Amino acid sequence: MELKVLYFGMIAEITNCQEEMIFLEQGSNVDQLENLLKDKYRKLQDLSFKIAIDKEIKSNIVLLNTKNEIALLPPFSGG
Amino acid sequence: MKKRKTVFIEGPIKPSFIANSIEKHQIKTSIGAHDIFLGQVRADEIEGNIVQAIEYSAYKDMAEEKFHEIREATFSKYDLTCMHIYHSLGKVKAGEICLFVFVSAPHRRVAFEALEFLVEEIKKDVPVFGKEIFEDETHVWKVNN
Repeated sequence: MELKVLYFGMIAEITNCQEEMIFLEQGSNVDQLENLLKDKYRKLQDLSFKIAIDKEIKSNIVLLNTKNEIALLPPFSGG
Repeated sequence: MKKRKTVFIEGPIKPSFIANSIEKHQIKTSIGAHDIFLGQVRADEIEGNIVQAIEYSAYKDMAEEKFHEIREATFSKYDLTCMHIYHSLGKVKAGEICLFVFVSAPHRRVAFEALEFLVEEIKKDVPVFGKEIFEDETHVWKVNN
């Protein structure tokens, strides 16, 4: 399945784009997506970030589907 | 459905905007206490470089949802008359205002407590990202404590 992944802040700097399509096996979970991305972008391994699924931070065992809006979020620094 | 107010303002929040906002509340005479938090960009020194400005970006859709949730949570927890939140996007220079949080209540204690709660929740839960820009155009990414 193809998933749309959004990148923000310092993560968009590492990936050099603000969004891309990522191919994952049907029935994959958040953890599997995270591992794939850390392989693709080695610099993510040294970084603390959260993954939001449909605008909520979810547990890493949540299963993904193509309708999800997935976003990688670096530490927040508002205010 | 209740229309959601947008929180984001492009660039710095001007002192005149804050003054206007205070003035608009003079007709709401059940209010006895306002409390205001203003976040200002600090010219921090980081490894010999001085921060000139912060450039803010956000995961806007999620941020607006979080602001909405925080507003609802604050209203249900505290007896407030009204509440306003504005956050900058884009470049805000050192010394300029990037966050304006304004609460009003019949009495002061509620206003004090609600304001602190709100600001802490915003810092913790809203996906806003600040890039600290130095004089030589290099940058680092800010992280909230």
